[in-house]
Amino acid sequence: MHSIFSRINNVSALLSSCMMALLAAIAISSFVLTADPKGDLGLLSVKVYPATGAKRAHAKQELAFVNFNVTADLRPLFHWNTKQLFVWVEAEFNNTKKSENAVALWDRIIRRKEDANLKVTGKNKYMLRELTKSFKNAGPAHYSLKYNVMPYVGVLTYGEAARTDAPVEFPPVQQRV
Amino acid sequence: MFSEEIKAFKRLGFRHVLLQILNFASVIASGLMIWKGLGLITNSESPIVVVLSGSMEPAFYRGDLLFLTNPSSERYHTGDITVYKIPGADIPIVHRVLETHDDAKTELKQLMLTKGDNNYADDIELYQGLKWLERKHIVGKVRGYAAQPKTL
Repeated sequence: MHSIFSRINNVSALLSSCMMALLAAIAISSFVLTADPKGDLGLLSVKVYPATGAKRAHAKQELAFVNFNVTADLRPLFHWNTKQLFVWVEAEFNNTKKSENAVALWDRIIRRKEDANLKVTGKNKYMLRELTKSFKNAGPAHYSLKYNVMPYVGVLTYGEAARTDAPVEFPPVQQRV
Repeated sequence: MFSEEIKAFKRLGFRHVLLQILNFASVIASGLMIWKGLGLITNSESPIVVVLSGSMEPAFYRGDLLFLTNPSSERYHTGDITVYKIPGADIPIVHRVLETHDDAKTELKQLMLTKGDNNYADDIELYQGLKWLERKHIVGKVRGYAAQPKTL
Protein backbone atom coordinates (compact mmCIF):
# COMPACT_ATOMS: atom_id res chain seq x y z
CA MET A 1 0.00 0.00 0.00
CA HIS A 2 2.61 2.54 1.02
CA SER A 3 5.50 1.01 -0.83
CA ILE A 4 8.41 3.15 -1.97
CA PHE A 5 7.24 2.89 -5.58
CA SER A 6 3.77 4.19 -4.92
CA ARG A 7 5.27 7.13 -3.04
CA ILE A 8 7.66 7.90 -5.92
CA ASN A 9 4.75 7.64 -8.32
CA ASN A 10 2.62 10.04 -6.29
CA VAL A 11 5.40 12.59 -5.91
CA SER A 12 6.34 12.56 -9.61
CA ALA A 13 2.68 12.86 -10.64
CA LEU A 14 2.27 15.85 -8.36
CA LEU A 15 5.49 17.44 -9.65
CA SER A 16 4.54 17.03 -13.28
CA SER A 17 1.04 18.47 -12.78
CA CYS A 18 2.52 21.43 -10.88
CA MET A 19 4.97 21.92 -13.75
CA MET A 20 2.17 21.92 -16.33
CA ALA A 21 0.15 24.43 -14.27
CA LEU A 22 3.19 26.69 -13.92
CA LEU A 23 3.94 26.57 -17.66
CA ALA A 24 0.30 27.37 -18.45
CA ALA A 25 0.39 30.30 -16.01
CA ILE A 26 3.58 31.66 -17.62
CA ALA A 27 2.11 31.28 -21.11
CA ILE A 28 -1.07 33.12 -20.04
CA SER A 29 0.94 35.90 -18.35
CA SER A 30 2.26 36.90 -21.79
CA PHE A 31 -1.22 38.10 -22.71
CA VAL A 32 -1.14 40.55 -19.79
CA LEU A 33 2.47 41.72 -20.18
CA THR A 34 1.96 43.38 -23.54
CA ALA A 35 3.67 46.42 -24.99
CA ASP A 36 3.32 48.33 -28.23
CA PRO A 37 6.60 50.16 -28.78
CA LYS A 38 6.90 52.53 -31.72
CA GLY A 39 9.99 53.65 -33.56
CA ASP A 40 11.09 55.32 -36.74
CA LEU A 41 11.99 53.95 -40.12
CA GLY A 42 13.60 56.31 -42.57
CA LEU A 43 14.60 55.63 -46.15
CA LEU A 44 17.94 57.02 -47.29
CA SER A 45 17.90 55.82 -50.88
CA VAL A 46 16.25 53.38 -53.26
CA LYS A 47 18.06 52.39 -56.44
CA VAL A 48 17.34 49.82 -59.12
CA TYR A 49 20.13 48.09 -61.01
CA PRO A 50 20.19 45.22 -63.47
CA ALA A 51 21.55 42.07 -61.82
CA THR A 52 24.99 41.03 -62.94
CA GLY A 53 25.15 37.79 -60.98
CA ALA A 54 26.89 34.80 -62.44
CA LYS A 55 23.98 32.63 -61.39
CA ARG A 56 21.73 31.99 -64.34
CA ALA A 57 18.60 32.16 -62.21
CA HIS A 58 19.20 35.81 -61.44
CA ALA A 59 20.28 36.90 -64.89
CA LYS A 60 18.29 39.53 -66.78
CA GLN A 61 16.53 40.68 -63.69
CA GLU A 62 16.35 43.97 -61.90
CA LEU A 63 17.30 44.24 -58.28
CA ALA A 64 16.41 47.10 -55.95
CA PHE A 65 18.87 48.35 -53.36
CA VAL A 66 17.50 50.11 -50.32
CA ASN A 67 19.39 52.07 -47.70
CA PHE A 68 17.46 52.80 -44.54
CA ASN A 69 17.85 53.72 -40.94
CA VAL A 70 15.94 52.33 -38.02
CA THR A 71 15.55 53.81 -34.57
CA ALA A 72 13.27 51.88 -32.27
CA ASP A 73 13.36 51.12 -28.58
CA LEU A 74 11.98 47.61 -28.35
CA ARG A 75 13.06 47.04 -24.74
CA PRO A 76 9.48 47.06 -23.40
CA LEU A 77 8.86 43.83 -25.32
CA PHE A 78 11.26 41.95 -23.08
CA HIS A 79 9.61 40.35 -20.07
CA TRP A 80 10.18 37.08 -18.24
CA ASN A 81 8.67 34.99 -21.01
CA THR A 82 10.51 36.61 -23.93
CA LYS A 83 13.15 34.34 -25.35
CA GLN A 84 14.09 36.53 -28.27
CA LEU A 85 12.82 39.09 -30.72
CA PHE A 86 12.93 38.66 -34.45
CA VAL A 87 12.90 42.08 -36.11
CA TRP A 88 12.68 42.70 -39.81
CA VAL A 89 12.24 45.48 -42.37
CA GLU A 90 9.77 44.74 -45.10
CA ALA A 91 8.77 46.29 -48.41
CA GLU A 92 5.17 45.94 -49.59
CA PHE A 93 4.24 46.83 -53.14
CA ASN A 94 1.69 45.98 -55.79
CA ASN A 95 2.35 45.08 -59.32
CA THR A 96 -0.32 46.86 -61.34
CA LYS A 97 -1.26 43.76 -63.27
CA LYS A 98 -0.43 40.74 -61.26
CA SER A 99 0.32 40.55 -57.63
CA GLU A 100 0.67 41.95 -54.16
CA ASN A 101 4.14 41.48 -52.82
CA ALA A 102 5.78 41.60 -49.42
CA VAL A 103 9.51 41.08 -49.19
CA ALA A 104 11.72 41.08 -46.10
CA LEU A 105 14.85 43.14 -46.74
CA TRP A 106 16.73 42.91 -43.52
CA ASP A 107 16.36 41.07 -40.25
CA ARG A 108 17.97 40.71 -36.88
CA ILE A 109 17.61 38.38 -33.92
CA ILE A 110 17.68 40.17 -30.57
CA ARG A 111 18.36 37.93 -27.62
CA ARG A 112 19.03 40.40 -24.81
CA LYS A 113 17.12 43.38 -23.49
CA GLU A 114 20.30 45.51 -23.67
CA ASP A 115 20.44 44.99 -27.43
CA ALA A 116 16.80 45.91 -28.02
CA ASN A 117 17.35 49.65 -28.37
CA LEU A 118 17.79 49.60 -32.13
CA LYS A 119 19.83 52.27 -33.90
CA VAL A 120 20.72 50.81 -37.25
CA THR A 121 21.74 52.30 -40.56
CA GLY A 122 21.71 49.53 -43.06
CA LYS A 123 20.99 48.22 -46.50
CA ASN A 124 19.06 45.21 -47.65
CA LYS A 125 20.49 41.84 -46.67
CA TYR A 126 18.15 39.96 -48.98
CA MET A 127 17.47 40.52 -52.66
CA LEU A 128 14.57 42.80 -53.45
CA ARG A 129 13.21 41.69 -56.79
CA GLU A 130 9.96 41.57 -58.70
CA LEU A 131 8.13 38.49 -59.95
CA THR A 132 8.11 39.92 -63.48
CA LYS A 133 11.88 40.57 -63.17
CA SER A 134 11.38 44.29 -63.68
CA PHE A 135 10.18 47.13 -61.45
CA LYS A 136 8.65 48.89 -64.46
CA ASN A 137 5.08 47.96 -63.50
CA ALA A 138 5.61 47.95 -59.77
CA GLY A 139 3.70 50.52 -57.78
CA PRO A 140 5.19 52.56 -54.96
CA ALA A 141 6.31 50.59 -51.94
CA HIS A 142 5.49 50.93 -48.28
CA TYR A 143 8.31 50.07 -45.92
CA SER A 144 7.73 48.87 -42.40
CA LEU A 145 9.58 47.58 -39.37
CA LYS A 146 7.95 44.52 -37.85
CA TYR A 147 8.74 42.26 -34.94
CA ASN A 148 7.95 38.79 -33.71
CA VAL A 149 8.13 38.09 -29.97
CA MET A 150 9.21 34.50 -29.40
CA PRO A 151 8.40 33.15 -25.92
CA TYR A 152 9.98 30.47 -23.76
CA VAL A 153 6.58 28.84 -23.68
CA GLY A 154 3.31 29.97 -25.21
CA VAL A 155 2.02 31.90 -28.17
CA LEU A 156 4.13 33.74 -30.75
CA THR A 157 3.02 37.35 -31.17
CA TYR A 158 3.63 39.84 -33.96
CA GLY A 159 3.59 43.59 -34.21
CA GLU A 160 4.58 46.59 -36.27
CA ALA A 161 6.94 49.19 -34.79
CA ALA A 162 7.30 51.67 -37.64
CA ARG A 163 6.08 52.46 -41.13
CA THR A 164 7.10 55.01 -43.73
CA ASP A 165 4.56 57.84 -43.97
CA ALA A 166 4.15 57.88 -47.71
CA PRO A 167 4.75 55.14 -50.27
CA VAL A 168 8.04 55.42 -52.15
CA GLU A 169 8.29 54.90 -55.90
CA PHE A 170 10.90 52.63 -57.38
CA PRO A 171 13.19 54.77 -59.56
CA PRO A 172 13.84 53.80 -63.19
CA VAL A 173 16.58 51.26 -63.70
CA GLN A 174 20.06 52.72 -63.97
CA GLN A 175 23.23 51.16 -65.32
CA ARG A 176 26.03 50.24 -62.99
CA VAL A 177 29.15 52.31 -63.32
CA MET B 1 5.14 -19.83 -15.40
CA PHE B 2 1.78 -18.26 -16.23
CA SER B 3 -0.21 -20.72 -14.12
CA GLU B 4 -0.89 -18.04 -11.53
CA GLU B 5 -2.21 -15.63 -14.17
CA ILE B 6 -4.30 -18.30 -15.86
CA LYS B 7 -5.78 -19.16 -12.48
CA ALA B 8 -6.59 -15.50 -11.90
CA PHE B 9 -8.29 -15.26 -15.32
CA LYS B 10 -10.36 -18.36 -14.58
CA ARG B 11 -11.42 -16.90 -11.25
CA LEU B 12 -12.44 -13.56 -12.78
CA GLY B 13 -14.22 -15.09 -15.75
CA PHE B 14 -14.46 -14.45 -19.46
CA ARG B 15 -16.54 -11.29 -19.17
CA HIS B 16 -13.86 -9.59 -17.11
CA VAL B 17 -11.22 -10.28 -19.77
CA LEU B 18 -13.51 -8.86 -22.44
CA LEU B 19 -14.03 -5.76 -20.33
CA GLN B 20 -10.28 -5.28 -20.03
CA ILE B 21 -9.86 -5.52 -23.80
CA LEU B 22 -12.69 -3.02 -24.29
CA ASN B 23 -11.04 -0.61 -21.87
CA PHE B 24 -7.74 -0.88 -23.67
CA ALA B 25 -9.34 -0.30 -27.06
CA SER B 26 -11.21 2.77 -25.81
CA VAL B 27 -7.99 4.31 -24.49
CA ILE B 28 -6.34 3.90 -27.91
CA ALA B 29 -9.41 5.13 -29.75
CA SER B 30 -9.78 8.26 -27.63
CA GLY B 31 -6.12 9.14 -28.21
CA LEU B 32 -6.62 8.81 -31.93
CA MET B 33 -9.84 10.84 -31.75
CA ILE B 34 -8.12 13.70 -29.91
CA TRP B 35 -5.29 13.80 -32.47
CA LYS B 36 -7.62 13.71 -35.48
CA GLY B 37 -10.01 16.19 -33.84
CA LEU B 38 -7.14 18.62 -33.29
CA GLY B 39 -6.22 18.12 -36.93
CA LEU B 40 -9.78 19.03 -37.98
CA ILE B 41 -9.92 22.13 -35.78
CA THR B 42 -6.53 23.44 -36.88
CA ASN B 43 -6.93 22.32 -40.50
CA SER B 44 -3.45 20.86 -40.35
CA GLU B 45 -2.47 17.28 -41.05
CA SER B 46 -0.16 17.32 -38.06
CA PRO B 47 -1.07 20.01 -35.50
CA ILE B 48 1.85 19.26 -33.18
CA VAL B 49 5.35 18.77 -34.57
CA VAL B 50 8.80 18.25 -33.14
CA VAL B 51 11.70 20.35 -34.45
CA LEU B 52 14.18 18.14 -36.29
CA SER B 53 16.95 20.50 -37.31
CA GLY B 54 18.96 23.40 -35.95
CA SER B 55 18.16 25.80 -38.77
CA MET B 56 15.91 27.99 -36.61
CA GLU B 57 18.32 28.28 -33.67
CA PRO B 58 18.44 30.09 -31.31
CA ALA B 59 14.63 30.20 -31.41
CA PHE B 60 13.90 26.51 -31.83
CA TYR B 61 16.25 23.71 -30.91
CA ARG B 62 16.03 20.07 -31.89
CA GLY B 63 13.29 18.32 -29.93
CA ASP B 64 11.21 21.41 -29.13
CA LEU B 65 7.45 21.21 -29.60
CA LEU B 66 5.53 23.44 -32.01
CA PHE B 67 1.76 23.89 -32.20
CA LEU B 68 0.43 24.61 -35.67
CA THR B 69 -2.72 25.96 -37.26
CA ASN B 70 -3.49 26.29 -40.93
CA PRO B 71 -6.66 28.39 -41.31
CA SER B 72 -7.79 27.98 -44.89
CA SER B 73 -9.15 31.53 -45.16
CA GLU B 74 -6.02 33.28 -43.91
CA ARG B 75 -3.06 34.28 -46.02
CA TYR B 76 0.50 33.84 -44.88
CA HIS B 77 2.62 36.89 -44.11
CA THR B 78 6.31 37.58 -44.08
CA GLY B 79 7.73 36.72 -40.68
CA ASP B 80 5.34 33.81 -40.12
CA ILE B 81 7.08 30.58 -39.29
CA THR B 82 5.77 27.78 -41.46
CA VAL B 83 6.18 24.04 -41.47
CA TYR B 84 6.28 22.78 -45.03
CA LYS B 85 6.77 19.52 -46.81
CA ILE B 86 8.04 19.46 -50.38
CA PRO B 87 6.87 16.44 -52.38
CA GLY B 88 9.80 14.04 -52.57
CA ALA B 89 11.41 15.27 -49.37
CA ASP B 90 11.14 12.98 -46.36
CA ILE B 91 10.92 15.37 -43.48
CA PRO B 92 8.90 18.54 -42.90
CA ILE B 93 10.95 21.74 -42.56
CA VAL B 94 10.33 24.59 -40.09
CA HIS B 95 11.38 27.92 -41.61
CA ARG B 96 10.33 31.57 -41.66
CA VAL B 97 8.60 33.26 -44.62
CA LEU B 98 10.85 35.84 -46.28
CA GLU B 99 8.79 36.79 -49.34
CA THR B 100 5.14 36.50 -50.28
CA HIS B 101 3.69 37.20 -53.71
CA ASP B 102 -0.10 37.08 -53.75
CA ASP B 103 -1.99 36.62 -56.92
CA ALA B 104 -4.37 39.56 -57.25
CA LYS B 105 -6.94 37.62 -59.27
CA THR B 106 -7.06 34.24 -57.56
CA GLU B 107 -7.69 34.67 -53.90
CA LEU B 108 -5.24 32.99 -51.52
CA LYS B 109 -2.92 31.85 -54.25
CA GLN B 110 0.46 32.71 -52.87
CA LEU B 111 4.02 32.18 -53.89
CA MET B 112 6.42 32.18 -50.98
CA LEU B 113 10.10 32.03 -50.23
CA THR B 114 11.33 30.86 -46.84
CA LYS B 115 14.58 30.94 -44.94
CA GLY B 116 15.85 29.42 -41.71
CA ASP B 117 16.87 32.05 -39.16
CA ASN B 118 20.16 30.24 -38.63
CA ASN B 119 20.91 29.73 -42.34
CA TYR B 120 22.79 32.17 -44.53
CA ALA B 121 20.90 31.51 -47.73
CA ASP B 122 17.21 31.21 -48.52
CA ASP B 123 15.54 27.86 -49.11
CA ILE B 124 15.48 27.78 -52.90
CA GLU B 125 17.92 24.85 -52.83
CA LEU B 126 15.58 22.89 -50.56
CA TYR B 127 12.60 23.17 -52.91
CA GLN B 128 13.85 20.35 -55.14
CA GLY B 129 13.58 22.28 -58.38
CA LEU B 130 10.50 24.32 -57.48
CA LYS B 131 10.96 28.07 -57.79
CA TRP B 132 8.53 29.03 -55.05
CA LEU B 133 6.82 27.48 -52.09
CA GLU B 134 3.06 27.27 -52.49
CA ARG B 135 0.23 26.96 -50.05
CA LYS B 136 -0.37 23.31 -50.85
CA HIS B 137 3.10 22.47 -49.54
CA ILE B 138 2.47 24.04 -46.16
CA VAL B 139 1.49 21.91 -43.19
CA GLY B 140 0.83 24.86 -40.89
CA LYS B 141 1.85 28.10 -39.26
CA VAL B 142 3.64 27.96 -35.90
CA ARG B 143 1.36 29.55 -33.29
CA GLY B 144 2.66 28.15 -30.02
CA TYR B 145 5.94 26.90 -28.69
CA ALA B 146 7.21 24.77 -25.82
CA ALA B 147 10.84 23.87 -25.29
CA GLN B 148 11.67 20.27 -24.62
CA PRO B 149 11.95 19.53 -20.88
CA LYS B 150 15.73 19.18 -21.06
CA THR B 151 16.25 22.81 -22.05
CA LEU B 152 13.47 24.14 -19.82
